[in-house]
Parts: sequence; structure tokens; C-alpha cells
Amino acid sequence: MISEIDIYAGLSSPIHRWDPRLKVISILALIFSIMLLYDLKLVIISMLFAIILVYISRIPFSFVVGRLKWVFLFLMPFLIILPFTIIGEGVEIARIGSITLNFRGIESVEFAVMIVIKALTAVMLIFPMIGTSRMDITIKALEDLHLPNKLVQMLAFTYRYIFVLSNEFMLMERSLTSRGFKRGSNLYTITTLSKAIATLFVMSYEQAERVFYAMRSKGYAGKVTTMHEFSLRPQDWLNAVVVCGFAIFVQVAVWYGTLEGA
Amino acid sequence: MVHISDGILAPWIWGSGWVITAAILAYTLSKMKIDDVPKISVITAAVFVASLIHFQAGPTSVHLILSGFAGVTLGILAYPCIFIAVVMQAFLFQHGGVTTIGINTVNMGVPALISFLIFKAGMKLNVGISKNEILFGAIAGGTAVALAVLLLAVELLVTGEEFTEVTTFVVAAHIPVILVEAIFTGVIAGFFAIVKPEMLSIKKRL
Repeated sequence: MISEIDIYAGLSSPIHRWDPRLKVISILALIFSIMLLYDLKLVIISMLFAIILVYISRIPFSFVVGRLKWVFLFLMPFLIILPFTIIGEGVEIARIGSITLNFRGIESVEFAVMIVIKALTAVMLIFPMIGTSRMDITIKALEDLHLPNKLVQMLAFTYRYIFVLSNEFMLMERSLTSRGFKRGSNLYTITTLSKAIATLFVMSYEQAERVFYAMRSKGYAGKVTTMHEFSLRPQDWLNAVVVCGFAIFVQVAVWYGTLEGA
Repeated sequence: MVHISDGILAPWIWGSGWVITAAILAYTLSKMKIDDVPKISVITAAVFVASLIHFQAGPTSVHLILSGFAGVTLGILAYPCIFIAVVMQAFLFQHGGVTTIGINTVNMGVPALISFLIFKAGMKLNVGISKNEILFGAIAGGTAVALAVLLLAVELLVTGEEFTEVTTFVVAAHIPVILVEAIFTGVIAGFFAIVKPEMLSIKKRL
């Protein structure tokens, strides 16, 4: 079962109190800045900065690590396969028939590690960015930031339906199981699950339409309305300066590094 | 697996991904009516949820991508649908990356648009079988995944020669997905044609 990202939005921390609009923009800028880095040292420093942000936000590390685990699984092939090659140059380490396995050298291990750390840092930063405000507040912030209204509405609706649909799918799976259905690698499994999912779509589609028309008839015109009003305090700007400052700092460090190298 | 994480592709590749996505999004959103919101949102949520369902395919476990399905049901609106699904995956469930949202949307969205064209062309064709939704749904579903994997492979190879082995691995892992996805999309297209034809982007001419 998927858990919602904003379950820790009720905590209180400087990041929770930070205006969501500035928070989203600043941390996004930081993520983009880190992705442009190709220097292991700076990437590691950025990761420490991300860890500090998570620490300040008081989101439990166990929650973050639980999510990072899956990202890491996806990145494993890069870590394992990248340092070795069968067509490129390198130190020969094994030969199986006509295939030679070469080790590319320590630089490629460093490169692989850097890729993995960059990806993990980006994921880690998502938690202080989205995990510290309720989802409806974040969506309202996106609207205030002039994201196209149709996209904002789609985000809001889709977010709700994800949980509705996954609940209904679990129910459907239970009823399939109770009728003796077992998953296997055969055509029967695929067609049965396909039809089950198709039924789910039809049901949800009709439900979504009813909900949407009910909302329209009660005056919904596409604007996100919440009780929460945004106001910018000096502290919000200070936070933005710190986070964006770090994003600029790493870029300056890269620029300075190339100057020295040349 | 078709969505690539942050920090792997060269910046100019993910940068151009954003530019292409912004252009196609601007066009498709202008064609979108506000009444389309519930339909697109449900399909988007469905694409998302279905990607959590794993099939056993030989030795590995694969999950559905459903970009072909989005093309068959939503037409050109499949592009915003896939954009939102990619955004959700990146931010809420840490699948894929943030900077790579643009390029991931291109990788899955452009094949979705092509699969829509295939489906549309197929519906006009009279191949002499009673249910060409199933046949062309399957072709559209399979093509969408194959093209997505192809795009990703090209991007990885352009980024650097050192990705050759990883690319081979990624492509090989997706061959069963292409097959499963083709069957899935075919079955669903056939099902919708009988049960709820308005959910298909193209209606068969009687």
C-alpha cells in the first residue's frame, strides 16, 4: 500500500513554517543546481546539506530511508555495471569464451558513486519540499505560482484518485483471490488482471464524472480554495536566501574550480 | 523502469526534454476542455496505480507502463496525463527524478501520441475481423513501450559510451513488458469497445 507523502505535515519546524511557495521554488532551484554538478566532492557536500535540511524538518529519517531504499534498488545496476565493460578499454579481469570483462578503473567507480549520490540527494530534498505541507496547501501554492490551471486541477484530482483507486484495486484483488485466482506467468493471468483493471477503470470513470459534476453544481470553477492564506514574513525570505545561496555557492565553486584548473 | 533518475543523463539532454515537453504540453492543454478533467485524472491515477502491479515474466518481475493505454483512451490528451503521472511518481513516490520529468514525459508521452495515431489509423482500416480494437490496441500498446525503451536507450548512449552495458540490460529487461503491455492494452481496448465505448479516443465507424 502506498502511503501519503504528507503524513508528517502536522509537525512543527522552521521548514514547516516556511511559506510553501518560496519553499517549493527554492528547493527546486537547489535540486536543479545539484544535478548540474559533476564533481564528487561538491556532490557529497550537497548531500550533507540535504541531510541537514531533512534533520531540521524533523521528518523521521526512517521514513526517508524507507523511500530511498527503492530508489537505491533502481540505481543498483548503474553502480554494479558501470565500472565494467566488455567492449571498452580497461584492465582485463575475466574472460568467458570470446567475451572479455574489463575494469574501467577507479574513475568510473567514482563516476558511478557520484551518479548514485546525486540521485539520492535529489530524492532526499523532496521530503522537506513536499513532505512539510499538506498536499492541498502545496497545490494551492502551485496555483499561486501561476502553474497552468488545468495542470493544477489535474494534480489535485489525480492525487485524490490514486488512493481511491489503489484501495478499490486491493478489494478487487481480494475478491479475485477468494475465487481461487493465482498469479502466474501465463496468458490467463494477464487477460484476467486486464479485465479486472478495465472494470475498475469504468467504475472509477463514472464515479469521477459524478463527483466532478457535483462539484461543478456547487460552484466549483477550478480555483483551489482553502482556509489557509499565504503571507510572506522576513523569515521566509531568509530561508530562501540560505537555500538558494547554497545552490549558487556550488555553481560558483564549480566555476572557480575550472578557472583554477585552466 | 523507463523513467530515468536524476543525475544520470547529460544536462543538455534533460534540458531539451523540458523544452519539448513544455511545447507539447502548451499545445495539448489548449485543446483540452475543462470537462475533460475527471476523465484524464482517473486515467492518470489508473496509469499510476497500474504501474504498481507486478507481473511475473520469466525470471524477472515487471510492471506495466500503460503509455499506450493512455494514448488509446485519451488521444492527444495522453501527453498531459503522462506528464502528471511522471510528476506524481517523482514527487510523491520517488520514482524517477525531478530534473528528468521533462525527458521522462518525452520518453513515454511521444510514444503514447504515436500509439494513438496507430490506433486511429487502425480503426479506419477494415481488416475483416469483428474486433479490430483488440488487434490495434495490442499493436499500439506494444509499440508505445518499445518506442519508450528505444528513446531511453538512445539517450543513455548519447550521454556516454560507458552506458553501453547498462543500456543492454535495460532493453533486455523490457522485452517481456512489451509483450505483456500489448496483451493488456488489446484486452482493455476490446473491453471498452463493448462496455464503455466513450472511454476510447476513437469510435469504430459502424
